[in-house]
Amino acid sequence: MSGAQKESLRRPGEMVFSILLIVFSVTAFWQSYAISGLRGLSEPGVFPMLASATMLLSSLVIMRELMAKGSTSQDRQSSFLRDIVPLRLLVVVGFILAYVVAMPLIGFVFSSAVFLFASFWLLWRKGPVISAALTLASLAIVYIVFRMVFQVVLPGGSMIRGII
Amino acid sequence: MEALANLSISWLDPWLMFLTAAGTLAGIYVGAIPGLSVTMATSILISFTFKWQVNEALALIAGVFIGGVYGGARTAILLNIPGAPSAIATAFDGYPLAKRGEAGEAIGLTTVMSVFGGFVGILALALMAPLITSFAIQFNSRDYLLLGLIGILLVGTLSGESFAKGAFAGALGVLIGMVGLDPMTAEGRFTYGSITLMGGVPYIAAMIGFFGVAEALVQLHNLDLATIKQKIDRIIPKLSDVKKYFWLAMRASGIGTIIGALPGTGGDIAALLAYDDAKRTTPNPEVPFGEGAKEGLVAPEAANNAAVGGAFVPMLTLGIPGDAVTAVIIGALFIHGLKPGPLMLIETPHLFWFTVGNLLLANVFLLIFGLTGVRIFTKIIECPKAVLIPLIIVLSSVGTYAIQNNPSHVYWMLGFGVIGYFLKTYGFQVGPIILGVILGPMMDSNYRRAMIGARGDIGTFLWDFVSHPISFMLTTAFVLMLLSQTPLWRPLTARIRRTRE
Repeated sequence: MSGAQKESLRRPGEMVFSILLIVFSVTAFWQSYAISGLRGLSEPGVFPMLASATMLLSSLVIMRELMAKGSTSQDRQSSFLRDIVPLRLLVVVGFILAYVVAMPLIGFVFSSAVFLFASFWLLWRKGPVISAALTLASLAIVYIVFRMVFQVVLPGGSMIRGII
Repeated sequence: MEALANLSISWLDPWLMFLTAAGTLAGIYVGAIPGLSVTMATSILISFTFKWQVNEALALIAGVFIGGVYGGARTAILLNIPGAPSAIATAFDGYPLAKRGEAGEAIGLTTVMSVFGGFVGILALALMAPLITSFAIQFNSRDYLLLGLIGILLVGTLSGESFAKGAFAGALGVLIGMVGLDPMTAEGRFTYGSITLMGGVPYIAAMIGFFGVAEALVQLHNLDLATIKQKIDRIIPKLSDVKKYFWLAMRASGIGTIIGALPGTGGDIAALLAYDDAKRTTPNPEVPFGEGAKEGLVAPEAANNAAVGGAFVPMLTLGIPGDAVTAVIIGALFIHGLKPGPLMLIETPHLFWFTVGNLLLANVFLLIFGLTGVRIFTKIIECPKAVLIPLIIVLSSVGTYAIQNNPSHVYWMLGFGVIGYFLKTYGFQVGPIILGVILGPMMDSNYRRAMIGARGDIGTFLWDFVSHPISFMLTTAFVLMLLSQTPLWRPLTARIRRTRE
């Protein structure tokens, strides 16, 4: 997987990520301290403080390990976009977001149909007809297995109540 | 006698039998298809089955676990792509065998040896668990705290890129597990006045986010996968082969059981170590290792299936998961109102024996399904990732929604999915996070109980760790692992790395 990359080089954006980890750990520690301060050693805030202190310590070590590695390339920004968050990923995450927002509104069946169709078309590149056929087939299987066999209550959709 | 009755529940009830069979069959495919993982499948299944009776849910999940650990071997042999981490070692010799046109025989031998290893692991579970339970009753809160720490530490050390990344992931999980009302004082922790947060972070949503959505997003990077056609002929292995490799399989199963039973280590490490062991103890294989030696197939497969039984030992007796999948299964038991730990075997022995019987049954089905349906199988695993990824997302979303019919859980899932994607991309493992989420609250309450027991005096508290024999043993183990930043494990990890290369 990603670990198979050259170990001596930093991955694009890795430095920023590790700074974010440190910032997050510091915030977490401060918020843990805010729970019960140093009132006593068996207070609710002690264990969160221990956990966030561990995070802080290890994120500092991660940072030190990163500094020892060489930088990836000159145009770091473009390779961050290309390797870590390519357009395809952003689009798919956008699809998922739209899907989970739409699901309670228009119901499981319609939102899944649109989501599956759009994603199949984008990722599989076999044209709209095959994507539509595949959407219908997979939706039918999911519906039969989960609604009928597993008896899962699928989101109904507040805007189209009663239609499906 | 009663144990025997409980042991046979799933063997006598046709519906449970069907569920176990369905789970095993589904598990084989889940394990085999690269991009689908057993952890992913179990986390999603938990959400769909939580309204079921606990026996039914466990039957299905046990089937998926057993089938999934085995399934990875098939793709390893046929395509040289381990469908699951536990099959990495299987590909070393399995694929060369397939290239020589012996794919069918390789699959047959793998199946028989997996089932053999599975039985050894379960036998060990049935024998060891009651012993450990009687020992574990004497465990103190301190000891549980230490066991939790050791479990997270081991997952972090052995699986990730660096020790610091493992430690970070584990601590992050513990922190996530702390969110919500403190069970001892009902004070809010990280709740910021939000009623949603008072109930804590929905951990099933976290599991599905980290193991389902994040993995699907990572898979977007390798959409195109060339498939290779293999000739499949004879599948039932030769009896002479089974006899010949009996002792090797026995030893590999022993390794697998022990590695599986260590908190935090699972089938992948067991398989690599068994492969290495087979390599060292077979001076003159018929075919050199790496070029299609059957020994190199038998050892890892017997070991990784034996590790399943092993992984259930700490989970059922101490409440400490042996690996990521058992961490998810512990989540399932929590949902069904059960608390795995030493009291579970005493208060609900029927559940323990049911699990043992059920794992045995799943292995029987594994033998049946493993030796049949290989031709259809090769068709199905050609399913492109472009089709799989959207389906994983749909199942993850519906699964997360189904737990409490709560749309906000789906946002949690997506959030954890995106965070998990970045963590995975930068070489962090998500296994320790889930372990932390599951074990965090347990460790917190045990820490505080131990601290109250020491009357809040840090000196007494620390002294207790070394002045009681069990605590002393565990403390020594923990400190050795921690302080040295694992030179204790360096020969082990070095060997794993060497084998991987």
